[in-house]
Amino acid sequence: MNNLPSFPQCYKVDSKPHKFCPGCGHPIVLKMLGQVIDEMGLADQVVLMVDIGCSLLAWDYFDLPTTQTHHGRTVPTAVGFKMADPGKIVIAYMGDGGAYAIGLQHTLTACLRDNPLTTIVVNNTLYAMTGGQLAPTTMDGEITTTTPGGKKEFETLKGPELLKTVAHKEAFLARGSTEKPLVLKQYLKKAIETQKQGHFSLVEALSACPTNWKTNAPKTIEKMKELEAFFKQGEF
Amino acid sequence: MIKILIAGEGGQGVQVIAEILAKAAFQEGQKSSYIPNFGVEQRGGVSLAFVVIDNQPIIYPKFAKADIVAIFSQRSHERIKEYLDEKTRIIKGPAITQKDAGLPSRVWNVWVLGQINKEGQMVKKESLVKALEERFTKQFSQNPELRELDLKALNA
Amino acid sequence: MGNQILAQAAKDAGAKIMFGYPITPSSEILETWAKICLKDKSLSVLQTEDEMAAGFGTIGACLAGVPAFTATAGPGNILMQDAVVMAEALRIPMVVMIMQRGGMSTSTVIYSQEEVRLTCFGGNSEGFRIVYSTSNLQELYDYTLKAFQMAWQYRWPAFVLADGYQGKMKGEVEIPDQKLSIPNLSPILKKGVNLRNCYNLEEEIGEIIVNYSDEYQRKRQEMEEYEDYQAKDAKIIILSHGIVAAAAKVAVDQLRKKGISVGLFRPITLRPFPTKAASEIMGKTQKIIVIESAIGQLSGLFKEELFGLNTTLIEVNKPALGFTPAEIIKTIQAYE
Repeated sequence: MNNLPSFPQCYKVDSKPHKFCPGCGHPIVLKMLGQVIDEMGLADQVVLMVDIGCSLLAWDYFDLPTTQTHHGRTVPTAVGFKMADPGKIVIAYMGDGGAYAIGLQHTLTACLRDNPLTTIVVNNTLYAMTGGQLAPTTMDGEITTTTPGGKKEFETLKGPELLKTVAHKEAFLARGSTEKPLVLKQYLKKAIETQKQGHFSLVEALSACPTNWKTNAPKTIEKMKELEAFFKQGEF
Repeated sequence: MIKILIAGEGGQGVQVIAEILAKAAFQEGQKSSYIPNFGVEQRGGVSLAFVVIDNQPIIYPKFAKADIVAIFSQRSHERIKEYLDEKTRIIKGPAITQKDAGLPSRVWNVWVLGQINKEGQMVKKESLVKALEERFTKQFSQNPELRELDLKALNA
Repeated sequence: MGNQILAQAAKDAGAKIMFGYPITPSSEILETWAKICLKDKSLSVLQTEDEMAAGFGTIGACLAGVPAFTATAGPGNILMQDAVVMAEALRIPMVVMIMQRGGMSTSTVIYSQEEVRLTCFGGNSEGFRIVYSTSNLQELYDYTLKAFQMAWQYRWPAFVLADGYQGKMKGEVEIPDQKLSIPNLSPILKKGVNLRNCYNLEEEIGEIIVNYSDEYQRKRQEMEEYEDYQAKDAKIIILSHGIVAAAAKVAVDQLRKKGISVGLFRPITLRPFPTKAASEIMGKTQKIIVIESAIGQLSGLFKEELFGLNTTLIEVNKPALGFTPAEIIKTIQAYE
C-alpha cells in the first residue's frame, strides 16, 4: 500500500473526485502527465489546452493554466500560444475525434511545420462524450452507434504512422496504452523533452471506454487487448 | 395532469425509467411526454427527467413545480429544489435511504419506478410491466435473472 | 493599397503576430505583413492551413498576452466564426479584418456589403462584438488602431469591416507621430486560470450570457461611433455605411447645392449600433432611405434597434454592387 504513488502535486484538489467515468483511461493518462510535470519541475511553464469531447473534463483537473477550446481546434490554439510565448510548454490534450477527424488537418499541419508542441491523443476508438459513434480509429468490424453492423467500409486511421510521413526526423511520435502506464509515462516525458528541443511531439494513448464499449471489467480488459493487437505500440 | 420529475446522476438509470413510464401511459391511451435534461458527462453529473401524463395533449414538456419528485442521490436534491412546493410528494431512492428491499443496486431505478406509480397511480401495473419488458427485451433474453429482479423491484 | 495600409496599421497598433489564410480580396494583408516581418524580427506571421486555424491561432496568442490578428473574407469569414464565438465566450481580444466580397457562397472576389449580419452576429450567440465599418483608406488605418485599443480595453472580439474596393484601392493616408499603446496587456491564461466554454446546466450559461449582455449594454456608449453628415434637420436622411456612405456624402453635397434637404447618417460601429444618436438625429425626419450593397442587412440592424420610430423607411438594395454618387443622386431625387 505504501508503494502507491501519491497524487501529482500539480493536481487541482478541489476538482476531485474527477468527472470521468469509472474505468476511463483519461485519469490514468492525466495522472502520468501530472507525475511527469512534477518530476520535471514544469508546473510554472506548462499551459494545457483541451479539446471538446471527454477531454474537456480535464479543464480544471490541474492547478495549471488550462483552457477548453473548440472541437478539433486545440492544436491551432496551442500553435498560436507557443508562437506568442515560446518559453512555455504547451500541451494539446485531445481525443481521437479532435486529433484525427475534425482537427486532422491541424494535427497534420502542425507536424508538417514541426511546431514545437506536445499533443496527447487519447484513443478509445469511438466518440465517447456524444454517446459512442464512429471515430477515425474505430477498428475493423467494430460496432458503434453509427456503424451498428460493424465498421467495414474504410480503413482505420493510424495517427502516429500517418504523421511519420511528414514529421521532422527529430520529432517524437509514439503510441502507448493505459494498460502500461509507466511506459506511457516515459513517452510523455520524451514528448515534452522533444518540445523543449524545438520539435513536434505526439503521444497516442490507447484507452478504455467501458461506458460506450458497454463492457464490464473483464470484457474491458479483453477489449484493451484487442486494441493493443490492432494498434502497434512503441516509438515511431 | 400529473407532473413527475426524476433526478439522479448519469448512470443511475434515471432516463430509462422515465421513458418506461411515459411509454406505459401512452400505450394505455393516455397522453404523455418525456424530456431529458443532462450535461455533457456520460457518467456522474446531472441527469433529470421530466414526465407529464395527462388525458389531453401535452403542449410543453417541462414544468415549474412537480407533483412527484423521485431523487436518486443526495447531490441531485440540490438540483431539484426549485421544482418543489408544499404539495410535492418526494420519493427517495435506496442510495439515499439505505433501504433497498434486498435488491441489488442495478435495479434500484426500477424499484423507484414502482414507488412512483404506487404514489401517483398514474398507470395500471400491467402497463408498466409491459413497457418494462419491451424496453429490456434484449437484456432480459440474455439474462433471465435480471428480469426476475426487475419484476421483483417493480412490485416491491 | 488599402490592404497594405491595414498591415501597417496593425503593426503601428502594437500587433505582434498575424495568422491568416489567403483569400481574395484580403491576401495582400498577409503578404504585406510577411514582408514587414522580414524587416522587423520582433514580429511573426503564420500562414495557416485554413481560417479556423487562423482564428484559433490568433486566440492562442491573445491568451499569452500578445496582440494578434487575422484577416479574411466571404467563405473564410464563415469558417472564422468558429473562433470568433469562442473569443466572445472567453472574452478574448482578437482583432479580425474582413474584406467583404460577393455574397452567397464563393460568389465574386470583389465586393459587397453582404457580410454585415455574419460579422455582427455570426456565432451561435448574441454578437458581443465591436464592429467598425470603414469608408475610406484613412479609416482603414485609424480604425485598425482603434480596434486593438477597444478589444483589449473591453475584451470583446473587434472587427474592421471593410470590403474589396477599399482593400484594393490606392491612395494616401496620414500616419500620426504619437501612437497609443494597447491597454491592459498581459497574459490571459496564467497560473490560477482554468477557462471553460462548455457548461452543463441551462441556468449556468443563461446567467453568464445575461451578465455579458448587461455589461455590453452598460458600456455600449463608450464604444459607439457614427457620423452625422448634414443629417440634423434634413427632410430626407440617407442611412448607409462603409464605402456606400462615402458615395452618399458626395451625393448629399450635390443635392444640397440643388436645394434638396438631405443628409447622411452613417453608423461607424455596426455593433454596438449607435442607437441613441440615430434616434436623436433621425427622430424627426420625414424619410429615411437605406442604401446598401446587400438586401436589408444594414436596415435590419437599424430596424432592430429603432423599432417604433415613426417615419417612412425606404430600402434601396443592390446586393454585391456598388453605388456611384450619381446613382444615389438619382435615387434621392426619385424619392423626394
